[in-house]
Amino acid sequence: MIQLFHVTKYYEGCLALSDISVRIEKGECVLLTGPSGAGKTTLLKLIFGSEHPDDGQILVQNRNIARLRRADVPYHRRTMGFVLQDFKLLPHRNVFENVALPLIIRGLSSFESRRKVIEALRAVGMEHKQTTQASVLSAGEQQRACIARAIVNSPIILLADEPTGNLDPHLTMEIAELFKAINARGTTVMMATHNQQVVEQLNGRILRLDSGHLLSDQGASA
Amino acid sequence: MKRIWYFFREAFMSLRTHQASTLIGIITTAFTLTSFGTFLLLYHNVHNLIGRVQQNIQIIVYPKDDIQPQMLQDLKQVIQADPAIESLTLTSKKDALNDFKHQFPDEAYLLEGLGESPFPASLVLNLANTIPSTDRVSNLVNRLQQNPHVERVRYNRDWIERLTLIITYMEIGALIIGGVLALASITIIANTVQLAFYTRQEEIEILRLIGGTNLFISIPYMIEGAVIGGLGSGIALSFLRGGFELFQHKIHTLNVIGGFSSVFEFFPLSFSLLLIIGGILLGCVGTFTSMYGWMRFRL
Repeated sequence: MIQLFHVTKYYEGCLALSDISVRIEKGECVLLTGPSGAGKTTLLKLIFGSEHPDDGQILVQNRNIARLRRADVPYHRRTMGFVLQDFKLLPHRNVFENVALPLIIRGLSSFESRRKVIEALRAVGMEHKQTTQASVLSAGEQQRACIARAIVNSPIILLADEPTGNLDPHLTMEIAELFKAINARGTTVMMATHNQQVVEQLNGRILRLDSGHLLSDQGASA
Repeated sequence: MKRIWYFFREAFMSLRTHQASTLIGIITTAFTLTSFGTFLLLYHNVHNLIGRVQQNIQIIVYPKDDIQPQMLQDLKQVIQADPAIESLTLTSKKDALNDFKHQFPDEAYLLEGLGESPFPASLVLNLANTIPSTDRVSNLVNRLQQNPHVERVRYNRDWIERLTLIITYMEIGALIIGGVLALASITIIANTVQLAFYTRQEEIEILRLIGGTNLFISIPYMIEGAVIGGLGSGIALSFLRGGFELFQHKIHTLNVIGGFSSVFEFFPLSFSLLLIIGGILLGCVGTFTSMYGWMRFRL
């Protein structure tokens, strides 16, 4: 599903990732852990196609992301969902409109869009909030809406960068539970987190990074 | 269909949400296009004025004194066939004498006893209401001078040459000033859109995050630019019309340019529509310039 071969990335001469080689199978739940600046976000960005590696190759569903043409990047992104710490919702739109955006981009019909949005909102327990404006949602609700937007396209891979970073412990547990449920349905989940509680709850494969180096890979399938 | 609806809804929602920057964009576009339009209006009217003056330019052809009526008729036909000629008037020897007597009644006694009219017959040619080309007029005059039935041709060569030169300079000036003002309009609109961009970077980032292509992200902005350009040019056109009416009223009241005041006219409807379409296009080009620079290096 996702393969990284000797991936190295620099930011203005500073090493962000060094010679990372990892293979992630379909349906796996991978947790990227490590202190700030370890390279967790960079790794996710490389897989997402918002950064290019300086060295090495990245294969996502047998497609070489390192050689992806600029024009093909949006199409690559449509195959996956991305959840961020700071939610990234359009504040002036309601929940339904926010969640429907990826479907509008794909050009789906209104009927099909509606069905998928309701399905995604139901999955995150936000069906009753579909007409609420995003700006008035609580932090937990905003993150749920983001997750709904990330899964509305039924992606094969769901990437998440510190999705619980802005949430209290109770909400953190709720969100972690959602990711677990999504993973259980067969979606490959790759999450960067330094929250031990989340790591324990998701009980997935743990890739520990520090200063751009892969220190350990626990729970990898043989 | 859903996408088209989305593009228009996004554009109009954005215009409504960012009222201040939209208003600034419309006003600046309106002022730039008003300057551009003022220049165009000036050019249009000077052009008209020159056209009117040009109608008064005449070429006078004097046929040979012994020309036969049939030959004269042939000569008239040859001249009239030339597209540079608008009209032709024949003044016979007798008419010329009468004209003289009419214009100088006190001197009429000088011609008494001369019998036949001493004045030559003449053909007065008025040029067509198009820009005269010196070469074209010279060629016509040369041809007429070589005609065996023509005695002499008189025309104001210097005047035509000067007029042609003025028109050439005006056209070059129009191109340069028009180009500069159009560039200014594009820059202003581009900057306005760029401002909107900066205020909405997060929104654009979100669209990129969920797989929006550059084209998908750009279209609402292009519509926004087109609306700003269209409204700006509409307002500019209203300013120009108002200013023009005021100017006409003033010159009528003050009677400063006498008979020429009737020459002034506003842009015809087709041209006014063209100006609005131009504004819309400027808006689109401005948006495109701004967006292209912004998106070019982003993944």
